[in-house]
Amino acid sequence: MHEFLAQLANGVELGAIYALIALGYTLVYGILELINFAHGDVYTFGSFTALVVLVALRAAHVLHGVGLILGIVAALLVAILACALLNAGIERLAYRRLRKAPRLAPLITAIGVSFMLENLIELWQGSAPVPFPNVIPNPELRFGALQVGVQQIVVVALAIVTMIALHYFVQRSRLGKAMRAVAQDRDAASLVGINVDRTIAITFLIAGALAGVAGFVGGVSFGSAWFLNGFGAGLRAFTAAVLGGIGNIAGAMLGGFLIGLLESFSTWFIGGQWSNVAVFSVLILVLVFRPSGLLGESLPEKV
Amino acid sequence: MRSPRIAALAALLLLAAPLTACSSGPTPASTTIGIGVDLPLSGADASVGTSTLNGIKLAVNRANAKGVPGGFTFAVQALDDTQQGVHNPQQGASNVRTLIADDSVLAIIGPYNSNVAAAEIPITNEAGIVQISPSAVSDGLTLGKDAAMLRRANPSVNTFFRVCTTDSRQGSAAARFALDLKLKRVYIVDDNETYGLDLANVFAHDFAKLGGTVLGRDHIAPDTQDFKALLLKIKGYHPDFIFFGGTTSTGGGLLRRQMFDVGMGKLPFMGGDGIPDIAEVAKKRADGTYYTVAAPNADLLPAAKKFVASYKAKFGGDVGPYSANAYAATEVAISAIEQAIIANGKKMPTRAEVLAKIPRSAKNEVHTPIGPISFDKYGDVRKPVISLYVIRNGRSSFIEQLNLGE
Repeated sequence: MHEFLAQLANGVELGAIYALIALGYTLVYGILELINFAHGDVYTFGSFTALVVLVALRAAHVLHGVGLILGIVAALLVAILACALLNAGIERLAYRRLRKAPRLAPLITAIGVSFMLENLIELWQGSAPVPFPNVIPNPELRFGALQVGVQQIVVVALAIVTMIALHYFVQRSRLGKAMRAVAQDRDAASLVGINVDRTIAITFLIAGALAGVAGFVGGVSFGSAWFLNGFGAGLRAFTAAVLGGIGNIAGAMLGGFLIGLLESFSTWFIGGQWSNVAVFSVLILVLVFRPSGLLGESLPEKV
Repeated sequence: MRSPRIAALAALLLLAAPLTACSSGPTPASTTIGIGVDLPLSGADASVGTSTLNGIKLAVNRANAKGVPGGFTFAVQALDDTQQGVHNPQQGASNVRTLIADDSVLAIIGPYNSNVAAAEIPITNEAGIVQISPSAVSDGLTLGKDAAMLRRANPSVNTFFRVCTTDSRQGSAAARFALDLKLKRVYIVDDNETYGLDLANVFAHDFAKLGGTVLGRDHIAPDTQDFKALLLKIKGYHPDFIFFGGTTSTGGGLLRRQMFDVGMGKLPFMGGDGIPDIAEVAKKRADGTYYTVAAPNADLLPAAKKFVASYKAKFGGDVGPYSANAYAATEVAISAIEQAIIANGKKMPTRAEVLAKIPRSAKNEVHTPIGPISFDKYGDVRKPVISLYVIRNGRSSFIEQLNLGE
C-alpha cells in the first residue's frame, strides 16, 4: 500500500510535467493543425533559463528566508517570459510565412527548428548535464500511508494552478474566445474582425509560457538540465497529447497524467528498461484504434 | 538558363582538380611520429576524458624532452568520440580510421569506453596498429568468443591492449569490498550498456557466491530522467545499499541525486569506475558513494609521486581517475616505438615493428607510475590492482586496494 501510494504520487508529479508540455502541443495543434516539434526544446530552454537565474541568485547569496521564495518566483517568471517570447519568435520567423504552404512544410520546419534550438542550447550551456540547484527544501511529509516530499507538492500544485488559469483564460477571456474562434474557422474568425495573426501569436506565447513552467518544475523534479532533455520529454508529452485527443485541452491534461502514471507503474511492475516501451506502445495503440484520442470526440470544440 | 550554370560548375571542378592533386602528392620524410588518441573530450564524459588526455600529453612531453632516438618528435593527435553529448561507438570507429589513414601515426591510445572499444578493435586489428586503452574494462574486449569476433580480420594478431583490468575482476573485487563494509543486502541497477551490464552481472554473481543477498535487479532505459519510480520500488526491498553498473552520464549521477528525493539519501551507493565524476551531477548528494577503479591509487605509489606532482604543476587540478593509466599506456607505446626505431637503424619503423616490441613478459616490462606493465597473450596486464574509494564532503578518498593476478 505504501509503495502503491508512493508510486502514485511520483506518477502524478511526472504526469504534471508531461501535461504542461502536452498543453503546448495541443494548443498549437488546435489552432494551426501543426505539430510543433520544437516545443520540447522550448521546455529545455525554460529549464536552463530558470537554472541560470537560480545559480546567479545563489552566487549573490540571496536564496534564504523570504529571498528564497522571491528567488524561486523570479526564476519561474523569467523562464515563463523567456519561453513565451522564444515560442512566439519561432512562430513569427519560421511558421507564419508557411501558413498557406502544404502541411508537410511547416512540420519539417518545426523539426529543423528543434535541431537548431538543441544545438544553440548546447553552444550556450555545453553538452554535459548541468545540475539544477536544490532550492526547494525537501522534507518528507506523511499523510497516513502516503509519504510525499515538499518538492513534489510544489511541482504538482504549480502545474495544477497553471492549468486552472489556462482553462479560465481560454473559456472566459476575450482572447480565449478569439483563440477558440480561430481554431474553429480561421476565415470566418477574420470576417468577424478577429486579428488572426495576433491570436495565433498569442497562442504561441501561452504555449511557450506553459513550457517555461514545465521547464522550471522539470528542473526541480529531475535535478538536472541537459540540452537533449526536450527530445525525450517532448515525445512523451506528444504521446500524452495524442492520448487525450490532440487539440483538446482537457485531453492533454488527462493524457499527461496518464502517461506519467504509466511510466511510474510500468517501472514498478515490469522494470525501468521497459517504461519507454509501455509509453510508446500507447502512442501506437491510440493512433491505430482511436486516432481522435480519449476525449477527442466527446468534446468537439478544440483550441 | 541551365547550360551556363553547368558550365560554371564544370569550370569550378576543373579549377579544383589540380588543387586536390597537389595535396595528395608525396610528402617529404617526416620527423614527427603521431600518437593517435581517441577519447570522449566533450559532453557528459568531458572531465574524465580531458584528465585522461592530460596524462597522455604529460608522457609525450616527457619523452620529447628526454630526446627520441633518430631525432624524431612525438605529437599527440587527439580526436573526440562524443556525439550528442555522449561517447559514441560510430564516432570512435570513424576517428580511428582517420588516425590510421595518417601514416605518421604509429600507435593509438584510447578509447575510454568499452562500447567504443568494441567498435574500434576490428579496425585497428585489420590495420595492425598498436592500440592501448587506459580504461576500457569490458571482459569481451580481450577474452573469449567476443574478443575472437573482434579479431576476425587478423585472428592470429592481437593489437589491442589495456593497462586497466577487466570488468569481471572489478565486479568481484567490488563484491568483496561491499562485504568488508558489512553491506549484505543489495539491489542492483545497470544501464544495459556493454560495460554496465557486464559489471552488474559479475557483481551479482560474486556477491551472491560470497554470501551476500541480491534482492533484485533492474535495467534502465537510455535518456531516462525520472528514477524516482525505480527508487521507490527499490525502497520496498529495504536494501543495505544500491549497486550501479554504468557511468555517471548513463544515469548514475541522477540516480544518486534522486535517492535523496525519495528519502534514501543515507543509503550507500556503489559502482565501478564509471562513476568517479559523480559529484559533478549529484553535487553534495554524492557523499556516501563508493566506487572501484581498476588501477592503483597514484597518490600512494612511490613511482607515482613524481607523476602526480608534475601533473598538478602542468594542469593545475587533481589527477583524474585514469590520468595515471593514460600516462602509463602512453609510456608503454612510446617505449615500443623507441625500441622499434633503434632496431630499424634509427629510421621510421613500421606499425608491425612497433607491435612486435610491445612488452609480453616480466623480462621486458615497462616501469610506469602504476607499476611495471607487461601484457598476457590476450592483451591484459599481468599484475592487476583494484582500488576502492568513497566520496566524503564532495571529495574522493582512498580506502583500500586489492592485488590480483600473478
